[in-house]
Amino acid sequence: MSIWIRVILYLVAAPVVGCLLAGWDRRISARMQSRRGPPILQPLYDVQKLWQKQNIVVRRSQNFYILFFLLLVIFTGALFFAGSDLLLVIFALTLAAIFFVLGAYKASSPYSFIGAERELIQMMAYEPMILLTAIGMYIVTKSFQVQKIASHPTLLVLVLPGIFLGFLFTLEIKFRKSPFDLSCSHHAHQELVRGITTEFSGRTLAMIEIAHWYENVFLLGWVYLFFASSPLLGVAVSLLVFVFVILVDNVFARLKWQTALRSAWVVAAVLGFGNILILSLLH
Amino acid sequence: MSVFTKSPWIIHYDASSCNGCDIEVLACLTPIFDVERLGVVNIGNPKHADIFLVTGAVNEQSQSVIRNIYNQMPEPKVVVAVGICAATGGIFRECYNISGGVDSVIPVDVHVPGCAARPEAIIDGVVQALGVLEKKHQDMAATTGNIDQTLYLRAEKDDAPGILALQKNAGQCEAKIYGDESLPALQQTLEELQSDFDRMVFIKAVVNSKLIGFARGYVREDNTCVNGVIVHPYFRRHGIGRRLLEEIEKAFPSAKRFEIFTGQKNERGLHLLGKLGYREFKTEPFTPAITWVHLQKERQ
Repeated sequence: MSIWIRVILYLVAAPVVGCLLAGWDRRISARMQSRRGPPILQPLYDVQKLWQKQNIVVRRSQNFYILFFLLLVIFTGALFFAGSDLLLVIFALTLAAIFFVLGAYKASSPYSFIGAERELIQMMAYEPMILLTAIGMYIVTKSFQVQKIASHPTLLVLVLPGIFLGFLFTLEIKFRKSPFDLSCSHHAHQELVRGITTEFSGRTLAMIEIAHWYENVFLLGWVYLFFASSPLLGVAVSLLVFVFVILVDNVFARLKWQTALRSAWVVAAVLGFGNILILSLLH
Repeated sequence: MSVFTKSPWIIHYDASSCNGCDIEVLACLTPIFDVERLGVVNIGNPKHADIFLVTGAVNEQSQSVIRNIYNQMPEPKVVVAVGICAATGGIFRECYNISGGVDSVIPVDVHVPGCAARPEAIIDGVVQALGVLEKKHQDMAATTGNIDQTLYLRAEKDDAPGILALQKNAGQCEAKIYGDESLPALQQTLEELQSDFDRMVFIKAVVNSKLIGFARGYVREDNTCVNGVIVHPYFRRHGIGRRLLEEIEKAFPSAKRFEIFTGQKNERGLHLLGKLGYREFKTEPFTPAITWVHLQKERQ
């Protein structure tokens, strides 16, 4: 498949898949709590409704940042599915998250402020592990190009089991799931009202939701990369990982930010760095 | 059926309830009733909410909170008063600190009966509220969709309350810019406005029988027409202000000169007036924060 076909496929299919995933997320969570749960298309209804609501802002420019957040998240995924440099992908992802944080800071409300601060702490927590993941993949495949990593003959997870587990840990943070839903919880009534998204409404909130759909598909794409030499297994494990994340979300309570940060770095040091250390000793 | 009925997000506020209704509201979320199957989310944030559930009677301390939450909710929105206390004050009606039901503070769309209201009744109330929400959405869409069919009519004295409400609404946006509440638009009383009708001409802009803007003007002895325009913040940038100014100029065919003033920070207004041929001729300090810019124009 040529690069452009893959990118266009991603641009069109990712929101559809992301929306369905978000719907399944809510349905599976409800079933875990012995409830019926909303229809699968509920996230789509929510976004459609938000699109037609009045857009209340504190400062007009806050919406501008969120537009860039959405565009950069889409750009990140497009780079990834085009088979580009993994480091560039991480860079774009970080930039996207920074725009989200800036938008929340711009809104200057105490809730969105603390949400933004916690989002920054979360970024500090997951960045080392994400970088180690890219480095681990480089050590095995001798390339940062997603294209080359995906076409490498070995099943990466077999040589990078520690990094895979560490990456699962960061996924919990990136998916904004308990125990790491510090900056903005999907569930109502947390101590920060709605944390980082408190001051966004209407169309802007819908954009944040759509950005999450794109982001989730991109992250599951990265999980697939660990199993790329066996595509069917890769898709199956990606979906299993998604269910696992939902299970963890329903089992755990929220952690304090200190614990979140410390545990994420311990995981990065032990599982991520340890894995790389063993690999380099074996070579 | 539009998406508004499929995704109602609720904010729940306890005005001064005995917690009976509150527990029943939360019971709606439990596996037995599970309102999330209808797309209902109990959201803690007024800026994300569509439906405002209020339980309990209103007291002196909760009044401002209710008003604040209501004002922070984006349109379209509906209010559901849950339980008999929220409807009338209930058994607390005669307490020294109770001012009555929720409708003593904000407009209520649906009342849910009961003490405490049963979860079934609350869910029924929310479903009724969805109908109201849908209707409000359609009204909004009809108004913004038909903005090119705006009617420009002479306003009569009966329109004064509507005009005053619009003037205060627009004035509050203005006051936020200056951080100063002493704007004349905010200070005027209904009596003063009604007496204005005796000496001024008022022209109103109406869509689907909703007032979205007005202009007023009168002629001084020196054949100068002094006028002013206010457009609802939601309907600005649609050419309504320009049209209203043209109508008021037409209403005074004998006037040789037109005069208007606005605050120094009203950049969009100054830009529009500049395009219509108005030129600044003097500025006058009103308060430390506000300076009036006076503009004039000769009739061509």
